[in-house]
Amino acid sequence: MKYNELTRRYFENAPGAGVLVGPGIYRGAAGSRNQGTWVQFEVQVDLHARVTIVQVARFLALACPHVIAVSAWVTERAVGLEVKDQLPESVQSLRERFAVPVEKLGRLLIVEDAWIAAAYAAGAPRLGSAATGE
Amino acid sequence: MQAPSPCVYLDYAATTPVDPLVAARMAECLGRDGVFGNPGSTSHDYGEAASERVEAARAQVAATVGAEPAEVIWTSGATEANNLAIFGVAHYYRATGRHIVTVRTEHKAVLDPCRELERRGWRVTYLVPDRGGVLDPAQVVAALRPDTVLLSIMHVNNEIGVIQDIAAIAALCAQSGRAWLHVDAAQSVGKCEVNFAALGVDLLSLSAHKTYGPKGVGALLVSRRRGVQLEPLQYGGGQERALRSGTVATHQVVGMGAAFALAKSALRHETERIALLQDRLWQGLVSLGGVLRNGAGARSVPHLLNVSFEGVEGESLLAAIRPHIAVSTGSACMSIHQEPSYVLRALGRDDRLAESSLRFSLGRFSNEADIDTAVAVVTHAVERLRRIGGA
Repeated sequence: MKYNELTRRYFENAPGAGVLVGPGIYRGAAGSRNQGTWVQFEVQVDLHARVTIVQVARFLALACPHVIAVSAWVTERAVGLEVKDQLPESVQSLRERFAVPVEKLGRLLIVEDAWIAAAYAAGAPRLGSAATGE
Repeated sequence: MQAPSPCVYLDYAATTPVDPLVAARMAECLGRDGVFGNPGSTSHDYGEAASERVEAARAQVAATVGAEPAEVIWTSGATEANNLAIFGVAHYYRATGRHIVTVRTEHKAVLDPCRELERRGWRVTYLVPDRGGVLDPAQVVAALRPDTVLLSIMHVNNEIGVIQDIAAIAALCAQSGRAWLHVDAAQSVGKCEVNFAALGVDLLSLSAHKTYGPKGVGALLVSRRRGVQLEPLQYGGGQERALRSGTVATHQVVGMGAAFALAKSALRHETERIALLQDRLWQGLVSLGGVLRNGAGARSVPHLLNVSFEGVEGESLLAAIRPHIAVSTGSACMSIHQEPSYVLRALGRDDRLAESSLRFSLGRFSNEADIDTAVAVVTHAVERLRRIGGA
């Protein structure tokens, strides 16, 4: 499998990999470890702000290099943006940016589902999890 | 594109570099001043000289594997040898019976011809080995039917290195007196003893490029003792006892002969040395935890070590190590799709563990520094991917 330069860079460095600790952290996950692709996002938001803005984001992923790279990019790009039930960029756009083979489109949808799950959780007035995955 | 020199090569089961001594012998048969004649053109000295080289190579191969020179039929490789054995027996004895017995963990070069014969009306029984990859000889006998004409069972498995007890299977098969026994020994020469006569098999496939010889040449050993007959796959010239027509590639078979002679002389020393390297590799990897060995280690050649890593995804593992070490993975890349190894699945590994497996195959030019690099690279990759995966 060949990867483009962006995918290689984000896979190799995986910025944003890990978990968060502290207040105002919300989590969402999608996919299945048993099925070979599982992604979790955590976002930290300012609980007292009028608009919910992502202050920090982290991810975990048991997945292929494309999914790890895209997840890492999303956590980086989301910082400073309002929490919404959509990725900072559309799945189609991400697919092109990272040269993800069309056969792997389903895996990008898992990234999207995990992000939306985290966003929904962050939109709720309580600390909690809205995991759709394991 | 230049060879990736900083990368440690641990994929000797896929192919080996041609030994410099072998390359030198081959080069003698290529140029205008060399032995370039057609070995079939014995009406002049050029052809005579080539024929002598071909027969010398035939004797070298035969001596390495305990066969008679006349039992060696040159082919383009083990794949052609397997095809010649399987289709050759099936078609020659089609009036006797149309049932074949083989094993699920065979190489595709055996399984695909069997599938093709199924499409043409033959019946095939696929035996399942135990979780270590070992076949019970009694299983083989139990699968024989009155219409069975061929058993095809590999000697050393190309993915896990397990050695089947071919002599025991051959003895039981001979007692039953029903079927011919073909053995794919592409991975055996230079890794363990191979003695065609002592094994008691009827047909045996060999490859040169797994044993520091050139690609594009192999052989099928056809036993004269029991008198197995084959229908050829190709016609036109009657070379190789009319079983494999076509001009014999002198430089290729000379290379195979030289490579096999080297393998025979180096067998004991190389096997002992590589066993130590394999142990060093396994001890280094197992300390990671969550590392599972595939195949019965006690019944394997030391050159192959196949391991699955828990808690990592296979494609990411390969991507992480690929710049540093060259190994095979537990998934066969069919264009974009990755299919888990059918061999590992037949041994009971689930898809995830089959995909996260690596086959390390060591060879003549492997050394301790290569092993230490491999352990360091894999350790770093697995620990990093497990952290990213939250394991």
